[in-house]
Amino acid sequence: MIIKKKIIKILFIVLFQFSVNESNAVEPDEILINKKQEIMARNISKNIRCMVCQNQSIDESNAPLAKDLRILIRNKIQEGKTDKEIYKFLTDRYGYFILLKPPLNLSTIALWFLPFAFALIGFFVIFFHNKKSKKSY
Amino acid sequence: MIKKQLLKIPFIIFIIVLSIFFYLLIIDRNPSKIPSALINNSVPEFETNSLFGDKKFYSSKELKHEITLVNFFATWCKPCRDEHVYIQRFKDEKALNIIGINYKDNPKKTVQWLKKLGNPYSNIAIDSNGRIAIDWGVYGIPETFIVDSKGIIKFRHIGPINKKKYREINLLIEKLR
Repeated sequence: MIIKKKIIKILFIVLFQFSVNESNAVEPDEILINKKQEIMARNISKNIRCMVCQNQSIDESNAPLAKDLRILIRNKIQEGKTDKEIYKFLTDRYGYFILLKPPLNLSTIALWFLPFAFALIGFFVIFFHNKKSKKSY
Repeated sequence: MIKKQLLKIPFIIFIIVLSIFFYLLIIDRNPSKIPSALINNSVPEFETNSLFGDKKFYSSKELKHEITLVNFFATWCKPCRDEHVYIQRFKDEKALNIIGINYKDNPKKTVQWLKKLGNPYSNIAIDSNGRIAIDWGVYGIPETFIVDSKGIIKFRHIGPINKKKYREINLLIEKLR
């Protein structure tokens, strides 16, 4: 019984660790008063790569450039710019690499569709393999 | 018999994938260096204060009449100090027009720094808040750009210039001239 309780406790702690692990680097003085605009800024920031650290978004990164870009995005939102305009502003300067989710275009078409192609090939291989092995029995 | 042959296929694919990975590992490639989105595009337009005197710096005036090397630097950046000797050599040996962009720095310190190390720059733009660097897609200084006489960006290097890069940039400049 005691062991069972202990296991449940440990499991709970482990799961709890994951559940609260959403960190961000947005500093209080950056946050916009308008809640709608702030949410828009946060959503964009989460998809913008921090070019200095490369595997973090600017929403999570403490790098000075990430802070500069967070502020820049907020300024653009206050100027009334749309999501699309802000993404274009950033990709014009830093290329598509700055987007954490690669866009679907000619140069990334293989990236998006090759997994499906491989899965399809896999299904065919399994299907024909089974057919053949049934015959040999 | 056919089945045995089929079993070889995954093994062959594995060897191919392995050799691709091995090739990417041994070639001289730095995955943290990203090609610039600005190559073959016009230089970004900007105006700011010049480090020299109380003058304004207009990119349209400074960057569209001859081949120019644009160098983002700061006195607080150690690699900038390391590459300074090569920037100076571009000026002394190749008579290249060099524009500096002083990134998030203290102007007084920069003047002192240049007095000590020599000034290869024909003009220096002050980028006090890093906004100009963002327009150039800069994410870590030092960064160096080569702009042709029409104001088109032809080359970008991230990080300090070393002997190898110095030669490479010289070859490019010869080509552009």
